[in-house]
Amino acid sequence: MTRLSEDKAQTAIAAVLRYGSLVSTLVMALGLVMLLIRGLSAYPPLESPAPVGVVVARALRFDALAISELGLILLLLTPILRIVVAATTFGLERDHKYMFIALGVLVVVVLSIGYAMG
Amino acid sequence: MDFTWTKVLELALLGLVAGGIGSMTGIGGGLIITPVLTLVFGVPIHHAIGASLCCVIATSSGAAASYIEHRLSDIRLGMTLELATTVGAVTGSLIAGILSRGMLAVAFALFLIVAAGVMLRRRSSTTPPGSEEIGTYKVRRLPLGLMGSGGAGVISGLLGVGGGIIKVPLMYLVMGVPFKVATATSNFMIGVTAAASAFIYYSRGDVQPLVAAPAAVGVFFGAALGSRLMRKVRSGRLVLLLSCIMFYFAAMMIWKAYQEGFFR
Repeated sequence: MTRLSEDKAQTAIAAVLRYGSLVSTLVMALGLVMLLIRGLSAYPPLESPAPVGVVVARALRFDALAISELGLILLLLTPILRIVVAATTFGLERDHKYMFIALGVLVVVVLSIGYAMG
Repeated sequence: MDFTWTKVLELALLGLVAGGIGSMTGIGGGLIITPVLTLVFGVPIHHAIGASLCCVIATSSGAAASYIEHRLSDIRLGMTLELATTVGAVTGSLIAGILSRGMLAVAFALFLIVAAGVMLRRRSSTTPPGSEEIGTYKVRRLPLGLMGSGGAGVISGLLGVGGGIIKVPLMYLVMGVPFKVATATSNFMIGVTAAASAFIYYSRGDVQPLVAAPAAVGVFFGAALGSRLMRKVRSGRLVLLLSCIMFYFAAMMIWKAYQEGFFR
């Protein structure tokens, strides 16, 4: 495999941030607009915190509340995807020191999510 | 708090204004979102901070992307310091979970006062930071930088702010990083730091979709708008006005906490 150039790595990281936040914002906006059109009473309330599985299942059934919440979850996942992409690109650049640093950050965040879910 | 469509639109408008002002003055939206949510909308402060963390991710991501594309972010330094900011953020969010509303409001108010003071001082300083050339630089005092970043992470997780007001001077003055790079790198770290604590807020039910989603959508577009307006508006007066508003918010938050009881 060829070494990944620094430029490509930075472009990949920037793209994750730009499109991740854009897509999650559009998903939230879609949910909110549906909510405004049909009214809050059209949808059963979503418990808080809602399990991610329930949010996804209800969002797939075009539940506006769940779509808004799904957008929020996607937004919170965007920085985490950025860590994964950074770790991968450091790995492809054969920059092992920073690959392990990125993986270290990932471990902290994943432990935090694990704690939150547990 | 009842949800009507006007409420949703008001929250989106708040986000739009906070995101716009935030990107024009260089403070994140978090310092505006939480006080307005608690004081104007009557949202409990833990929910306000949960929403603010989402807004902080929404604003910082777009800015971080363009800083990276302009090669201003030191990604390696950023990821190294993130080891400390994320641990700090988790700690901060756990502390927030055991603090009463009143105590958390007072902690937020104190941080607002410090941040407003820093903004005023930076405004009056004669040398505009960021005018220097970015040459080669060597990162100094990494252990101290890691400790400071841990502290910035605690503040971020506790109060739902980006914490640039700590990280930028830390990298610029202590670690010998050029100001522009320090700003861009601080911004780079914000999203991951906020995400590390946001899931803990989420699991406590402190990320309310009907508060956080409209505000985050507003902030996202407000920040994009603000960065385009920035070249047309002189930000000196805006900073002065904003710091006065921040002092006022701080006083009101302390007054409200006093009236409602610090330990409730």
